[in-house]
Amino acid sequence: MKKMYVLIGNYGSGKTELALNFAFKAAERGERTELLDLDMVNTYFRLTERGQMTRMKEIRLVSPNYSCSGIETLSLPAEVASAFAMDWDTVVFDVGGDAVGSTALGRYHQDFMDMLEEGGELEVLNVVNTRRPLAGTVEKIMHLQEEMQIHSRLKITGMINNTNLATATSEAELRDGYEIIKEVSEKSGVPVLYTSGKKEFLDKFLAEGHDPKFIGTPIAIDTYMQRDWDSWIKGL
Amino acid sequence: MALTLMKGSEAIAEAAIRAGARFFFGYPITPQTEIPEYMSARMPEVGGCFLQAESEVAAINMVYGAASTGARVITSSSSPGVSLKQEGISYCAGAQLPCVILNVMRGGPGLGSIQASQGDYSQATKGGGNGDYHLLTYAPASIQEAIDIFSFAFDKAEQYRVPVLFLADGIMAQMMEPVEMPEMVEYKVDPEKKPWACTGFKPGDDPKKRAVINSLYINTEELTVHNNELQAIYREIEKNEVMFETYKTEDADIVITAFGTVARIAKSAINDLRAQGLKVGLFRPITVWPFPYAQLLDAAKGAKAILDVEANEGQMKLDVQLALGDKVPVHYFGHCGSQMPTTDEIKEAILKIKEGM
Repeated sequence: MKKMYVLIGNYGSGKTELALNFAFKAAERGERTELLDLDMVNTYFRLTERGQMTRMKEIRLVSPNYSCSGIETLSLPAEVASAFAMDWDTVVFDVGGDAVGSTALGRYHQDFMDMLEEGGELEVLNVVNTRRPLAGTVEKIMHLQEEMQIHSRLKITGMINNTNLATATSEAELRDGYEIIKEVSEKSGVPVLYTSGKKEFLDKFLAEGHDPKFIGTPIAIDTYMQRDWDSWIKGL
Repeated sequence: MALTLMKGSEAIAEAAIRAGARFFFGYPITPQTEIPEYMSARMPEVGGCFLQAESEVAAINMVYGAASTGARVITSSSSPGVSLKQEGISYCAGAQLPCVILNVMRGGPGLGSIQASQGDYSQATKGGGNGDYHLLTYAPASIQEAIDIFSFAFDKAEQYRVPVLFLADGIMAQMMEPVEMPEMVEYKVDPEKKPWACTGFKPGDDPKKRAVINSLYINTEELTVHNNELQAIYREIEKNEVMFETYKTEDADIVITAFGTVARIAKSAINDLRAQGLKVGLFRPITVWPFPYAQLLDAAKGAKAILDVEANEGQMKLDVQLALGDKVPVHYFGHCGSQMPTTDEIKEAILKIKEGM
């Protein structure tokens, strides 16, 4: 049966990196996988830049018209319909940041509802990075979550604790994220379905013995969006 | 304070506000539109003013006006927009108005592209507008460095009464990095410390204390005196404000010269080449005006060759050659327009030089 993952969340929370990880893992399991770059907001650093890598793993990639062409005004391609019409095992949507980014999903409301009626599975996941200024507190995350649900016309089914500081990440990020996201989960009733991070930090975090209810399934991720300049970040 | 993961545009805007900027005038242009977007939400929160001007020309003249009152004011744009501002920047320099101008460079000439570039180096360092003037010009290579420079940029602008220019490329504004923000500075305009500030002249006030902002000197002698004063200031800045970074230059046979994002890519290349046993280092100007001529000469004294790497036609290479004369051959590698040199390309260019040595 078809399983769909829709990744939404605060801008810069790590949706693209996670989308690649979800899709690559599915493809490695031999599943027929489609990956959709549905970021209609940001022109830079987008999933489609890793198109070659994706295609080599026999994943079908759908990108907005004009993405990576240097043109800012993207448009939704008709091929998004293939996610619903074709026979996939796994479909991953990488959606633009914040409420404004999740708006792109609204147009497919009926398609998602039909898919569920046909017995498909849908996970709408709020990717949370509490080290981002607009997702640093319980209140901010709850506010963002509500806004995104309205704009996407979808109910968020779970959260992913993906708290990180890019190249300066340690297990402390996951721990701090855990504390804040736990409170969000208790207040909003939205479960924590996954906790993701690089294997070394994830293992250390898991060994600390936190409540599994607020960890969900751990996902050790690889990073694919690294850049030539990422190895050097210090100040003066 | 815990580190946060911030986008360059957001971080730069917040850093400006924390350094006392309370006026932002600008006009949107990719890849820096997130700066005015952030300012439009944040300025009202701190009692400041965000105003989207009808054009870049209007925006820089609003900067001229606000700076005349002694306020801390900032404008930002990207290459084509900064070209439009040049007349106003020359006026600010002529009238000795402290302000901060941000150029988030994109591909050119003309409309070019929206991707990152370093094509405005010459415009920034050799004067984009008319007349003999310079801008104290910083070219940060990381978001944290941009934040750190912002904490003193207004102080420098006011100390010398010059406009300060931030020369960043599109990547700096668009990428995200872990950063630590400084505390908010409670900044108040003190007319005693800012004698140029027009804060309201009333009948009966001491005429000697009347501030006049002007860049027009009809009398030839007066204009010469004015220019001599400006030149004296520029010599002081050259003496005191040079900033640069060296990376593994002590024993380097080949020194790479690069600024901004390209310097970071060069560092990755240097680490790879060092692992292969090649002695390569980096000299990175942080102030591109004043350029660290003497410091480069010193850092490259043991080098047998220089590789200048830029995302432009090699505009900084002229300054590198000015610093080194004919003592060391200066090679160039880069791309014009908006294609960033890659780690592999830089390594290849170094290996080619090594073969010919």
